[in-house]
Amino acid sequence: MDQFTISPSSGVPIYKQLFSQIERMILNGYFVPDDILPSVRQVAADLEVNPMTVSKAYGLLEERGYLTRLRGKGMIVAKRDDEVSAREKLTTLSRTIENLIADAHLMGVSQQQLLTLFKQQITASSREIANNDNKE
Amino acid sequence: MTVVIKIEALNKAYKNHQVLNNLHWEINQGDIVGLLGKNGAGKSTLLKGLLNLCDIDGGTITLFGEDHLNLSAQTKGLIGYVPQENDEISWLSVSDLIKFRKQFYTTWCDEKVHQLVKRWNIDLTKKIAELSPGQVQRVLIILALASKPALIIFDEPAAALDPEGRRDFLKEIIALASEEHITIIFSTHITSDLERVANKVAILEQGHICYFDDLDTTKENVVQLVISHKIDEKITVPYVLRSKQHPKYLQCVVSQLDPNWLSTMKNQGVEIHVTPMGLEDIFLELTA
Repeated sequence: MDQFTISPSSGVPIYKQLFSQIERMILNGYFVPDDILPSVRQVAADLEVNPMTVSKAYGLLEERGYLTRLRGKGMIVAKRDDEVSAREKLTTLSRTIENLIADAHLMGVSQQQLLTLFKQQITASSREIANNDNKE
Repeated sequence: MTVVIKIEALNKAYKNHQVLNNLHWEINQGDIVGLLGKNGAGKSTLLKGLLNLCDIDGGTITLFGEDHLNLSAQTKGLIGYVPQENDEISWLSVSDLIKFRKQFYTTWCDEKVHQLVKRWNIDLTKKIAELSPGQVQRVLIILALASKPALIIFDEPAAALDPEGRRDFLKEIIALASEEHITIIFSTHITSDLERVANKVAILEQGHICYFDDLDTTKENVVQLVISHKIDEKITVPYVLRSKQHPKYLQCVVSQLDPNWLSTMKNQGVEIHVTPMGLEDIFLELTA
């Protein structure tokens, strides 16, 4: 089971790294409703981290409605409201965008330049996606 | 929350040097505490003093509610200790040493001993003096874990181990942590080990515990800030540890992130970029 990866020396606490990773995996459909997540003990042993950390991540995911605890089975992916999912996806992405804007600012890249760069990338990406679709 | 260790006003001096100075510390059941400190800060002294392996000059220490100088036999059986140096009888063979130690404990897990001896390739017939430093450390760890203690204290447990040995050791700690209610203290320089396994971090500096908090909270609090502002604007940063003014921005490290201050700044249009730090950098900042 090599699904999750964490970086222990990162400034981001391990539980947060796990939370974000699993959140993403649920939002992009890698995990679907009713999927059973591996046990805390299993994940802790595989990642070589304190099981309390894994518990914390799972607990937070449960709090946010991503997971439900099922007696005897463990944590399963909860069914979610489509509208809520869509909103969450946008929230996650806007965090990424916020970091991008901050980085650009630190580098002295203007917002205009950033916007131009962004448009260029989107055009390039859609071309690549279209090419890949044509190949199939 | 059961308090397992309570230390109050601990003092210890060597010759004329005050190593531990009015030290206070409280550890709860279930805590896995990483003890950090510069070389010579007194970590070993603190751990030995705690276990009455060295005398203290003043203060009170209680373990499981009992005075550390008068622990009942039952309580003693709950405590495991892995020292930094080998104080064990060097002329005994590993198997004889294990047999010898086993006598002192009412709970002893032979399977655990067997499992670890096998995993770590310990030659039971060899005398302790004949083993490599890494193997000796492994034997000491086995001896501490075999009695299924409720409190284990490790003094630089991985110092003599190679990376593989360290990983193995961490796996054991993690397996232990999965079992309920065990309390662990370990002193180490290897911050990445702490980051994997500890839930609390303590820093020993200038003779006392200058910092003791949840590890995750620490990473969320002790952060680097990059503040972009107009040159003539004067910005005061609360809880600042150090700061450096650059032409277009102020770079600083804080020990706590004040959410009120943060929102006030944002409302005033000041851009603040928060960068978290790893434990090693945090330690250096807090002890600078």
